Amino acid sequence: MPVLKNDSSIIERKTGVAPGQGPEKGLITLPGETANESDDLGGGSYLTTKLDTMVNWARGNSLWPLPFGTACCAIEFMSMVSSAYDIARFGAEVVRFSPRQADLLIVAGTIVDKLAPVLKKIYDQMPEPKYVLAMGACATSGGFYRAYHVVQGIDEIIPVDIWVPGCPPTPDGLMYGILKLKEKIERGEIKRG
Amino acid sequence: MSTLTRFSAIPYTGPAPTNRNPYVPADVATIDARGAEIAARAGVALEQETGLDLPAFIVAKEAIVPTLRALRDHTEFQFDLPLDLFGVDYPGREQRFDVVYQLYSVKNNERIRLKVRVGETESVPTSVDVYRAFDWFEREVFDMYGVRFEGHPNLRRILTHEMFQGHALRKDYDPAQRWLLSEQGVAKLKPKIDPRFEVEHSDFERVTLNLGPSHPAMHGTLRCAVTLEGETIVGADQEIGYLHRCFEKMSETHTYQQVIPFTDRLNYCSAVINNVGYCMTVEKLLGVAAPERAQHVRLMLSEFYRIADHIVCIGTNLVDLGALTNFWYLFQPREEIIALAESCSGARLLPTYLRIGGLAVDVPADFLSNSQRIVNMLPKYIDEVEALVMKNRIFRDRTEGVGAITKEDALNFGFTGPCLRAAGVPFDVRKASPYLGYETYDWDVPYAEGGDTYARFLVRFEEMRQSIRILQQAIDRGLPSGPVIVDNPYVALPPKEKVYNEMESLIYHFKLIMHGIQPPVGEAYFQVEGGNGEVGFYIVSDGTKNPYRVRVRPPCFPIFEAYGHMIMGQTIPDAIATLGSLNIIAGELDH
Amino acid sequence: MPVTRTAPGIVRVEREAMTLSQRAYLPQILGGMLRTFRHFLRNLFNMKGLPTISYPEVKRVYSERFRGRHILTTREDGTTRCVACYMCSTACPAECITIEAGEDQRTREKFPVRYDIDLLRCIFCGYCVDACPEDAIYMTRDYEMSIDTRARAVVGLRDLVVPPDFPVEPMGWRPYYGKMDKRGTAGGTGIGQPIREAPYKEEMPIPNPDVYRGA
Ligand code: SF4
Ligand code: SF4
Ligand code: SF4
Repeated sequence: MPVLKNDSSIIERKTGVAPGQGPEKGLITLPGETANESDDLGGGSYLTTKLDTMVNWARGNSLWPLPFGTACCAIEFMSMVSSAYDIARFGAEVVRFSPRQADLLIVAGTIVDKLAPVLKKIYDQMPEPKYVLAMGACATSGGFYRAYHVVQGIDEIIPVDIWVPGCPPTPDGLMYGILKLKEKIERGEIKRG
Repeated sequence: MSTLTRFSAIPYTGPAPTNRNPYVPADVATIDARGAEIAARAGVALEQETGLDLPAFIVAKEAIVPTLRALRDHTEFQFDLPLDLFGVDYPGREQRFDVVYQLYSVKNNERIRLKVRVGETESVPTSVDVYRAFDWFEREVFDMYGVRFEGHPNLRRILTHEMFQGHALRKDYDPAQRWLLSEQGVAKLKPKIDPRFEVEHSDFERVTLNLGPSHPAMHGTLRCAVTLEGETIVGADQEIGYLHRCFEKMSETHTYQQVIPFTDRLNYCSAVINNVGYCMTVEKLLGVAAPERAQHVRLMLSEFYRIADHIVCIGTNLVDLGALTNFWYLFQPREEIIALAESCSGARLLPTYLRIGGLAVDVPADFLSNSQRIVNMLPKYIDEVEALVMKNRIFRDRTEGVGAITKEDALNFGFTGPCLRAAGVPFDVRKASPYLGYETYDWDVPYAEGGDTYARFLVRFEEMRQSIRILQQAIDRGLPSGPVIVDNPYVALPPKEKVYNEMESLIYHFKLIMHGIQPPVGEAYFQVEGGNGEVGFYIVSDGTKNPYRVRVRPPCFPIFEAYGHMIMGQTIPDAIATLGSLNIIAGELDH
Repeated sequence: MPVTRTAPGIVRVEREAMTLSQRAYLPQILGGMLRTFRHFLRNLFNMKGLPTISYPEVKRVYSERFRGRHILTTREDGTTRCVACYMCSTACPAECITIEAGEDQRTREKFPVRYDIDLLRCIFCGYCVDACPEDAIYMTRDYEMSIDTRARAVVGLRDLVVPPDFPVEPMGWRPYYGKMDKRGTAGGTGIGQPIREAPYKEEMPIPNPDVYRGA
C-alpha cells in the first residue's frame, strides 16, 4: 500500500478507489439487496429515459448544498469545505445559505425541538428536486441525547435520502455519503421533482 | 428502563467503597477560616456553611439582594465578577431548591458560594440590579426548576421552547418526556428599546428585523431580533436554546465515566479543555490526582485545542467580514492539530481521550515529534494571517470601536476569558489558580484596552503565541515516564491483560463497569480556562454511580447575554463583526 | 502586534497607529493580494505539497486507534469470542447495543444469539471496546458507512462477526496495539506492560483492506 506523505504535514494518505469501482463495501446495499426499488423501469420511452439519465447526471454533478449546521458536526462540515478536503472537486462547492438556491440540504448537528419548525420551514422553501443528507448521530437519530428537548432523528420532520453515521462523521465519511447520494441520483434511484 | 439502571440490582460484594464517608476538601481548615473572616467583616449577616471546597454561606431569601450588593461594593472583598447562578433540587427537603450564587473577586482572586433555600411556592427577589449577568441565569433557573424571581423584568423560559410544560431539571421530571413545538408556537421577539433611544429622533420608521436562527452570520443556532431606526440598532433581543441538548439532565442519567463524551460536546471547538475541567472536578471529589504523564499530555492537548478554538473563531469571523482566504490558511494548521488528537485518541474533533484519573491510553510514540512539527508550522500561519488582516485599513475600520464594552460592564456581565481580557482585565484561570502545573511554565497573560472587536482579535492572536510558548516548553521538558492513569481499581479499569488473565482484576473490571465510579457524598467546584473563559463544573455526588447534579458554567452564556448591549447604537454589519469576535459556541451556550 | 509587560506574567497588546501606507488603502491591499498570489503560484508549481486530499482517489490513513465501525472477533475455531456478558451495552453511553444471550448446550458457555448495534445512535466513543473483558469487540478504521434507509443502520451479528483470520491492518481502536502499530505505540495504559500477543499472526499476508465483510 503506497503511503503518500507530505513533509510539512503529519497527515498520511494512501491511494483509494472511487465508489462504484473496486469492491462494494459499506452498508449501502448488500449483495442481493436493493433498498430502493426502481418501480418504473420500462415505463418511459427511449427518449425520456435518455433524457432522465442526462438530467440525473447533471443533477448529481451540481449539488448545491445548504448546510444546516447547528453543532459540532457543522465544524466537521467546515473542515470538509476547507482546503484539506475541498468538496469543490465534485461541483458541490457553491455553499448556499439561501434555501431557494440549494438542492441538497445537509443537516449537520443536533436538531432540538425548538429548532424543528425552522428546519421544516427551510425544507419547504427549497425548490424541487431536493435531497436531504442527515449527518451525524444527532441528526440521524438523536444520538446519545435521549432527552427531553432533542428531536430523535430528523425523519420525524422531513424525509431523508442518505444517513451518515458518526459523531461527528469524518470529512471523508461525509464525502463518501455525498458521493453515494450523487451515485444514487445519477442512477435515478431517487425519484423526485 | 434503560440498560444502565437494569443492572444496578446486582449486589455489591467487594470491599467497602469510598463513598460512605462525606467528601472533605484537602485544605478545608484554611477555607473555613477564610469563610469566617468574610462572614465577620462583610457587614451583612452571613451564616457560614463549613466543610466545603469554597467559603460558603447560607443566605435568607429576603436578604440576598442586600448581601450581594454589600459583597460587590465591599472595599476589601470586592466580589465584582458574578460567575454563576444555578439551582439544585432536593425533593426530600421541605424547602426543596437550593439557588446557588458563585462570585469571584478579581482583586483578591477568590471565589465564594452563597446558597438560598426556597420551597416550591416561594420566590426569590431578583438580583438583576446588582449583577446584570444574572438576568439570564435567573431565567434559566426559572426554566429548569420553576423557581420564580420577584421583580425580574422578563421572566420567561430561556432554554426550552414556548410550548414546553414542566421544569426539566426537577428530579421528578422524566428525562425523555418531550413536548413538541408547532410552527404557530414560535415566539415573536419584541426587542426592548434601549433607554438612550427612547425618543424617536429621526424621520425613519422603526423596523424590527429578525436574524437567525438559521442565518449564516448567526452561526446556525443563535437568534437575535433587532429594531432599527434607519441603520442604527436601537433595540435588541437575543433568543437562545436552539441547541439545548439537556447536558445537565443527561449527566444525571449517566455514570461519571459516561458523562465525558457529553462534556466533549459542550464547547466542541476545544473539547479536550472541557474534559480536563470535568475529569479534574470528579478527581477532586474522589481525592485522586492523575499521574504526571497524564497531566503533561492534558496540558499539551489543552493548549493545542485552545489554538484550534481561536483559529475557528478568527477564521469564521473573517469569513463573516468577507475575508475568505484566511479561513483556508488557518484551517491547515488546525487540521494538523486535529490529526494529532486523532493519533492519540482515534477521533478527530471530539476525542473523548480523557478518563477520570488519567487518559484512556498512552500517547503514541511520535506524539512529541509530531507536536514539535505542528508547533514549528503554527507561527508561520498566525503571522501570515495577522499581517494580512491586522494592519489592513478596511479591517481596522470595520472592527475598531465596534462592539465595545467597558471594563466595568464586562465584569458586571460576568465576562471571562479573551473577551474580558480584551476589555482590560488580565484575568486568566491558568494564572489565577493554576492547575496541571501551568505555574511552572514561563508565559504571559495578554490583555488589551478598549474592549472592542479589534481588541478581541489582538488578544486572541497573542494568546495563540503564548500557547505556542507553553507548548514549546512542554515539548522541551519531554513526557514524564510512568503510567497514564491512576492505579486504583475503584476509579480506573485495570489493564486489559490483567483482566484477561487474573480473576481479581476481572472482578474489579466488572464492578467498575456495572457499578461505576462512586465518589464520596459532597459537592465540588473546579474551574479551568476554556477557549472562551472560565469553564467550571459543579458536581454534587450522593455516593451513587450517577452524579446527583452536574452544573457547567458556560462562559459563552453571559457573553452572549451582553451582546444586545454591545451592539446598541451600531449598524447590522457591525453587529455581525461583533458576534463573530465573541466566539459564541452554541453547544456551550445552550448546554 | 507589539506587547508591553505591565506586571510579571501579564502583557498588554498594543494597538499600532496606522502608518501612512496603511492609511492609503492601496499599498496594503496590493500587499495582501501579492501574498495570496504567492500562495497560488507556490501551490500551482508544487501540486504534491497541496494539503488537499483528493478523496476518494487518495484516502487519508487514520491512525490505528481510529474509532470506526465495530467488529466482533472470533476464536481460532470460528466461534465468536463474545460471551454475551452485557458489559459493553452497560458501558455504552448511547445505549445502542442490544444483546440476547444463548447458551451452548455442550460447554455451558454463553454466546450472543442477537447482537445489534444501532450505528446511527452510536457516537463512536470506544467505551464498548474498553469494557469488553473477552477481547471480543474491536473498532475498525472504516468510516465509509453511509446508509440509505434507517432500518439498515442496525447492524447485527451478520455484519459484525469477522472470520478468525481477519486482517489486523484495517483495525482501529482495540485493547492493545501490537506490532501492526506503524506509529510505534506502546499501547495499553502503562500500568503493567502488555503481556499477551495481539491476535494476529506474523506471517499473515497484508490483505486488501477493502474486503473484510466477514461471515
Ligand atoms: S452527531 Fe455528534 S458531533 Fe454531530 S452534532 Fe451530534 S453530538 Fe455533535
Ligand atoms: S462506540 Fe460508544 S456509542 Fe458506540 S456502541 Fe460502543 S460504547 Fe456504544
Ligand atoms: S462484546 Fe464483550 S462486553 Fe460485549 S457482551 Fe460480548 S463479551 Fe461482553
